[in-house]
Amino acid sequence: MPETFLDSTELVLNMGPQHPSTHGVLRVIVKLDGEKVTGTECVIGYLHRGVEKIGENRTYAMFNPYVDRMDYVAAVSNGLGYCLAVEQLLKVEAPARAQVVRVILTELNRIASHLLWLGTHALDIGALTPLFYCMREREDIMMIFEKYCGARLTTHAFRIGGLQYETYQGFEQECLEFCDKMLPRVDEYEELLTGNRIWQQRLVNVGVLSAADCKAYGVTGPMLRAAGEKWDLRKAQPYSGYETYDFEIPTRTNADSFDRYMVRIEEMRQSVRIIQQGVGRLEAGPVMAKVPKVIKPPVGEAYVSIEAPKGELGYYIVSDGSTQPYRVRVRPPSFVNLQSLDKMARGGLVADLVAVIGTIDIVLGEVDR
Amino acid sequence: MKRCPTCQATFPDATERCPKDGAKLAAMSVTMGWDAVEAPAEASPAPAKPAPKPAAPKAPAVMETEPWEGELPDALKEKFGDAITGYFRYVGQSFLTAKPEAAVPILEFLKSDWGFDYLVDVTATDDPAKPERFELVYILYSFSRNERIRIKARVKEGDKPATAVPVHITADWLEREVFDMFGIEFAGHPNMTRILLPDEWQGHPLRKDYNILGMDQKWVQENLGIESGQ
Amino acid sequence: MRDFLRKIFLVDLLEGLWVTLRAQHPKNIVTEQYPAARPKVAERYRGAPRLNINPENGETLCIACDLCALACPENLIVVGWERNAETKRKELTTFTYDTSRCMFCGLCEDACPVDALELTQDFELASYSREGQIFDRQILEEGIHPTPYKH
Repeated sequence: MPETFLDSTELVLNMGPQHPSTHGVLRVIVKLDGEKVTGTECVIGYLHRGVEKIGENRTYAMFNPYVDRMDYVAAVSNGLGYCLAVEQLLKVEAPARAQVVRVILTELNRIASHLLWLGTHALDIGALTPLFYCMREREDIMMIFEKYCGARLTTHAFRIGGLQYETYQGFEQECLEFCDKMLPRVDEYEELLTGNRIWQQRLVNVGVLSAADCKAYGVTGPMLRAAGEKWDLRKAQPYSGYETYDFEIPTRTNADSFDRYMVRIEEMRQSVRIIQQGVGRLEAGPVMAKVPKVIKPPVGEAYVSIEAPKGELGYYIVSDGSTQPYRVRVRPPSFVNLQSLDKMARGGLVADLVAVIGTIDIVLGEVDR
Repeated sequence: MKRCPTCQATFPDATERCPKDGAKLAAMSVTMGWDAVEAPAEASPAPAKPAPKPAAPKAPAVMETEPWEGELPDALKEKFGDAITGYFRYVGQSFLTAKPEAAVPILEFLKSDWGFDYLVDVTATDDPAKPERFELVYILYSFSRNERIRIKARVKEGDKPATAVPVHITADWLEREVFDMFGIEFAGHPNMTRILLPDEWQGHPLRKDYNILGMDQKWVQENLGIESGQ
Repeated sequence: MRDFLRKIFLVDLLEGLWVTLRAQHPKNIVTEQYPAARPKVAERYRGAPRLNINPENGETLCIACDLCALACPENLIVVGWERNAETKRKELTTFTYDTSRCMFCGLCEDACPVDALELTQDFELASYSREGQIFDRQILEEGIHPTPYKH
């Protein structure tokens, strides 16, 4: 190492837990050599509420609203995963109409989650405008949720065995209108960002994580697909009738932050396609399967996972035959994906660290539970 | 009072049909105790008369599993023999029980020879009544086979099962969480510290003998300056 | 050459700016003027709880069956009742609902067999004290009275 007059000792710096770019209360201890990151360590748990312990002390139906509060950006997906897991234990299946409504709402929620990600990620990078546009479109989705189930964020939209609420008057039309509006809007975001040279300079070749690394770290979702692995649980192990919908799994090959952005943008378009197909399939019928009023699954265990906007969201539920689950384990995508932060950020600049945290798409409510 | 069997709204006695959906109203006793409330199957839209309650057969106290047969269990049987104590299937999901010392070699073998290259989750369950109270659960997935299996191993309190980090890096945080929540230490783990709770916290919350209200009050009082966290 | 000119004249940035300018048109403005103009919430909105009374005779619809309290994940509903000696019916005496712990999941109104307990469209639930968040029977029947907005 050449002699310099500058002091080149390592600098240890705290980023967070109240840093705006850490999306909540993530604290990253960064080791710096100049502006180069030589190591990171995540300190998490500031938002730990013991959701799994709460689950052991509530009945199956009562625990349902709590799961919304983990990944509160994609509450509907959380609820779907939990309901599917309990339905698996009970060996019941939701009626056809309920499944279609579930698919529509989950895909709407996927768009909402990606929109929030896009807006805040662009904000981290320094592009202020997309946030407002993303929030504008997200508001339309929130309105559909509010009209459907009465809540906007933590929806509690599904129940074990189907749906509590029938769709409202004009639900189909509003969904279709939203879809028609959404496609040009996605083009608009691309107009703003994709070709933008600042955006490209900040993201291309930043935070590269190859497909092999993704698997080693258990990283799923858009990050895995940006690395070229064509894997989506909706196709690989379909649930709620996803196998009957016609949609593509967008993949890219560079495995950097820019590709993850492109994958999420494309996923929004695919979700719009699924919603359009789903609305066409809505037929009259019951929305609730025959589920006993007091839910008591037989002794057993099941692991059910779904493709949440952030990756594989799994519920491992052990039943001892009583009204309360013996053990509820949530396999949170954000928690596992966040583990790869060190691998991606090492060797980059501090500014890239912000981009990398953004690109993982974490929600601290889910990381800490 | 009368109640609509489909929308569950109640109406005065004079009303014959529900103004919302036209269903014939069912008479309802206003002096409702538990039974009267239980009877109409709520939310299930079809039945106009209460569904007869089946005489609930006593749920068996053990899991009704089927044996798991096929290529993969055969290969495992050949390789590990007695170290794997059982192959089961339940609700279409395969899992095996193994001795704790065999768990990591199994993970390694499955990764190298069978393409189970993605460790989905490491978790545990606690049953203080059993001598080996903890049950470690490894959930594995294979991209090439599109198959998911679980490996379960029972460990005693104080046992230190080997870490899976050399095989799957993702086990790092997941094992730390198991340590945090259950107090199972993994031998050879690079950084066996608490991950979600503060380092000085006493107790392991997901153990069954840890009361839901039994949070570490001393820590809360010392560090947060409030009387109680509840 | 074309790429070079695009770079010189900042075409990529100007394209983005054009999107921004388009959204400046008055008909594209979506901001709500909240306290001045009240938003219209959906019919199924889950807001402040209300205990419905029978409009004909002013008596409560609640039959004190306690199902809402049993359905509540947070155990925040307490139903007080006593048995009327003449009619042998349960009669509601007190009803408390602690909105400070409520997560508005709607399980209580789903459980209610007579549609007495309902989550309404009132969304202004702020209070100056923690005690103010605990609704008793009177508040539940009459509704909340938030301070109106003044200029």
